[in-house]
Amino acid sequence: MSSDLEQRLEALFADAPDPEPGAGEEALHRSLRALQPAPPAHRGLRTIGLAFAAALVLLAIAAGSLGAAGALHVSFGTKPKPRPATTQLVLPQGANGVAAVVDGRLSVVTKGGFRLQGLPVSAAALSPHALYVAAGIGDALVGMAPNGRRAFSHPAGGKVAAIAWAPDGFRIAYIVHAGRHFVLRLIYGNGTHDVVVDRSVRPVRPSWRADSLAFAYVGAGGREIVYDIGHQKHIVRGSAAPVTELAFAPVGKKLLVATPGAVLLGRKSLVTGEIEAIGWFHGRPAVALEQGVTPPLVRTFSSAGRPLEGFRVPGRVVGLTDGLVVTRTSNKVLAGWRTKAVSTVLTVRPSASVEDVGIG
Amino acid sequence: MREPSDRDLVRRARRGDREAAADLFRRYWRDAWRAAYAITGRRSLADDVAADGFERAFAALGRFDDRRPFGPWLHRIVANRALDLLRAERRLSDEELPDMPDAAPAHASGDRNLLSAVVELSLERRVVVVLRYGVGMTPKQIAEALDLPVGTVNSRLARALEQLRDSLEVEHVE
Repeated sequence: MSSDLEQRLEALFADAPDPEPGAGEEALHRSLRALQPAPPAHRGLRTIGLAFAAALVLLAIAAGSLGAAGALHVSFGTKPKPRPATTQLVLPQGANGVAAVVDGRLSVVTKGGFRLQGLPVSAAALSPHALYVAAGIGDALVGMAPNGRRAFSHPAGGKVAAIAWAPDGFRIAYIVHAGRHFVLRLIYGNGTHDVVVDRSVRPVRPSWRADSLAFAYVGAGGREIVYDIGHQKHIVRGSAAPVTELAFAPVGKKLLVATPGAVLLGRKSLVTGEIEAIGWFHGRPAVALEQGVTPPLVRTFSSAGRPLEGFRVPGRVVGLTDGLVVTRTSNKVLAGWRTKAVSTVLTVRPSASVEDVGIG
Repeated sequence: MREPSDRDLVRRARRGDREAAADLFRRYWRDAWRAAYAITGRRSLADDVAADGFERAFAALGRFDDRRPFGPWLHRIVANRALDLLRAERRLSDEELPDMPDAAPAHASGDRNLLSAVVELSLERRVVVVLRYGVGMTPKQIAEALDLPVGTVNSRLARALEQLRDSLEVEHVE
């Protein structure tokens, strides 16, 4: 029978505080990383299996090396090798790196010599200056260093739908398809300190503010939300229609927002029409408008929202980064600056789906 | 639908089922954290200790005998991790470290006298008190967890309760 003191002790501990929710999230990910599936019971079979796997890997490496040198084409089995969806990626002039996801496969090439082709991913993003690549592989967010080495592999708890690297490179905002919801998470650039920012968002790539202290994303209701990291504050902004794309200015705090029929800079409506892409050109808002049978029109605006210039580009615009337009024609991905010649970044099959092209 | 037992979850987690491992985590995280907090007295340390405890437990899940209950095994890891950390901290620090700096504000409305008395207990006595009255482990389970004879656990508990009674009586007289 417990004494009065023992009852008081039980009550005292029952009244103890609870852990912070964030601490549990981080601990869960750390713990899941430590999880090691139990080895199969039969040691002999396992050894044979490992030896066979090692032999296959060695064979594949040898074949890959020879294949890369053009000396050998290898195929296993009798099925004909499928035609690749892309050719090798070409770095556009003046860029540090380019990453393209075509038919769910990632190709990357950087100025530093990092080259990767055909890695199955769900999303990818280059770090600032194209020094690293973050990609959704399986149910993990994986960071890769320029030498191709895995910098980190972090269990995401679902397929990664979108990734955005902060301009200072220290953080990555990413969206995970977890069950029926898309969850927005924030992680350090080295794969540690993962936290949930919002449990229900839309799978639109977040956009970082230039100072790396905040980023914008699209909430479950379709509105843009700015998350202030320092104060851990969500600032919900109102838009008339669901937001389809976001782009913070490369300098300052201006946010460009696309909806299905209009583009807004702050509260000012810049343009209406069918929007293909938004971005910033040398610090100025830029909008690519779909024009039916005529090639799309890229228009730039002053920071006050006054129209400045317009030029037509071939194909369909898939990205507008600082001074660079990336377009998709029937069988090519092109990149070009307004004042320089357009170059082919990638040749693709007409049926290929160009899901993402990022240039850093 | 029936909740899966700890044993089911452990078995599935051992086969690499991350959902099962996550369920196991969610089932025990709060208790493990509170035990860590009660031993260390600091939120920041409790975060580390409880996370470390789970990390070690999951890494060692392949060696865990699933005929035994999971909770006491986990608490054993957490308690030992807390003790290791506190001892290491004392070895590294010349100054006397504050024992439970977070506890007073968090328990401001609770049994303050008793809390102060628990804080005064030595680390060895405080751990057995926490595991017994905070986590609800039996003396036998505590003995297994801390790798001590059951007699030692019983005597530490008895002395701890005696010390607590004395402290409370002194305060009452004053």
